Amino acid sequence: MAEVMDAEERELLAEALRRTMTTTAHGRDLDKALVELGWPDLLAEAPDVAVPLVFELLGETGAHAPVLNDVLLQAAGNLLGGTLPLPYAGGSLVVWERDGQGEANTLDADLPLRAVSSGDIPEGAALAAGRRALGWWLTGTGRAMLALARSHALDRAQFGRPIASFQAVRHRLAETLVALEGAEAVLLAAEDDLGSLLAKAAAGQAALTAARHCQQVLGGIGFTAEHDLHRHVRRVLVLDGLLGSARELTREAGALLRERGSAPRLVHL
Amino acid sequence: MDVAEFRASVQEWLAENDLTPGPDHSLDGQVAQLARVRRALYDAGWMRYGWPAEVGGLGGPAVLRAVLGEEVATRDLAEPGIYSMIEVLAPTMISYARPELAAEMVPRLLSGREQWCQGFSEPGSGSDLASLSTRATPRPDGSWTVSGQKVWTSLAQYAQRCVLLTRTAPGHDGITAFFVDMDTPGITVRPLRTMHGVDEFAEVFFDDVVVPADRMLGNPGDGWRLAMDLLPHERSTCFWHRIAYLFARLDQLIDETRVPDDAALGSAYLALHTARCRSHVTQRRLAEGARLGPETSVDKVLLATAEQQLFDTARDLLPGVLELTDSPWRPEYLYSRAATIYGGTAEIQRNIIARRLLDLGKE
Repeated sequence: MAEVMDAEERELLAEALRRTMTTTAHGRDLDKALVELGWPDLLAEAPDVAVPLVFELLGETGAHAPVLNDVLLQAAGNLLGGTLPLPYAGGSLVVWERDGQGEANTLDADLPLRAVSSGDIPEGAALAAGRRALGWWLTGTGRAMLALARSHALDRAQFGRPIASFQAVRHRLAETLVALEGAEAVLLAAEDDLGSLLAKAAAGQAALTAARHCQQVLGGIGFTAEHDLHRHVRRVLVLDGLLGSARELTREAGALLRERGSAPRLVHL
Repeated sequence: MDVAEFRASVQEWLAENDLTPGPDHSLDGQVAQLARVRRALYDAGWMRYGWPAEVGGLGGPAVLRAVLGEEVATRDLAEPGIYSMIEVLAPTMISYARPELAAEMVPRLLSGREQWCQGFSEPGSGSDLASLSTRATPRPDGSWTVSGQKVWTSLAQYAQRCVLLTRTAPGHDGITAFFVDMDTPGITVRPLRTMHGVDEFAEVFFDDVVVPADRMLGNPGDGWRLAMDLLPHERSTCFWHRIAYLFARLDQLIDETRVPDDAALGSAYLALHTARCRSHVTQRRLAEGARLGPETSVDKVLLATAEQQLFDTARDLLPGVLELTDSPWRPEYLYSRAATIYGGTAEIQRNIIARRLLDLGKE
């Protein structure tokens, strides 16, 4: 991955992506804009750079585009640009539409998700790649919530001082950072199926932790529709269930341990 | 020697040289076993890798020490807490002792001929370590007189030497470190009874203890920096050892449990895997020459949380075992309760994260 891009080039690309995500209409338009920025080539040539970069930025900016499809299609060796059925928590299946509308009753109604009754369920490398991508999206969303809560804690004064000076508030934000940084380390180490399963579980759990603490720190304002927090909270709740929730995946890991009779050490010095 | 080659050679050597502990699980037995393991590994050369030649080492990157400790912990050859003490004591001597003193003393520690202890905490100075009050006053001949009390000093009753923090002036800049012989007149050691039944910690009393001038570590006022310089060692190599030990315990739990609770098992594994991945990132940064700082408080919180969760899970999935039987799970479970207290409490870590990493200003 180093030979594909140096740190400076990566930073420039990140800037271009961030700008595009914050200025383009989400969904279909952003999908096209990402193609113009070279997303398909980047995904083919350097998925280890492309996926963390694009998906973490989707989380940080609150944008969305149907590029999760591409990650699974690429890993399965299929043509990009289409859709495929994606397992959802509880045993159901959804499709992430590229053009059409999603179901109006999805908790995060911005996302064009549509339930389907049957289809070829992705597995192996494709499923693992999709889980890693969603993991980065979830931690990116967690980072966005932490940034909102942090600036609120510094700006908001009560009892004559910023609420960031109260230890109870500080410790919630510290816990949030610990969860996110832990999940990011798991994502960085994720290579095989089990590593990717654990990374998605860690990221889902961290993002849910971030949602809980940041919502609390933001108090009343974070509960209003005018504040952005609720968009991130909804996104986390929906993305956590996609390709297996933290709860389901953690149980699956436990079952695997029992079957093997030992705990795999996936990273080594 | 590269890491993979070193690991393979150590594994091969350990397969041929049985260092399995004997039946004596008392603290005396554990300390004797630790000395036995260190001596054997030192004589075979393994214990000398990753340490500089000036103190009897064979050189190579510090990560070799993490690899060796992982192999020791994975096989339960030595209790990981006391095995890892070397990782904070030896680097301190290398950085702060006179070169001749470090060259003379460090090999005694590495080879298991001596145990050392670390006199930091005091009855009035736990989380607020910088408030310590054990006093060192200069004597006309240049030596120093030390008076005061230390507490939570691991292995003090077995130790020949002590890395001791004292107060020589007010404030953080008034802390001075010494390397003290534990047989000096005026030192009294009283082991503490703890809830897990292993008298690993002690109170140490200093009554007009005379310490030669050439036993000062660094210069007057360097003590606080010395204490802070330990953290990168503690939070890289020691943590890697401890995580290896916890993985061994998780394997044991998987083997012994008959309670089919996959969610609990998976959750304990995920927490431990997360701590290991984070520690791996830290090890890599250290190898690249990064200076470790407040971000290692994240490692500390992840590890302490994973450790307590693992033993909580063991209690849940081995019902009655630690309550009703004389099993090693009992002291290990009880000891895990201290994971969020020693080495800087969980609250202190969160204070550091809030102040230094999140830049939330003062409390």
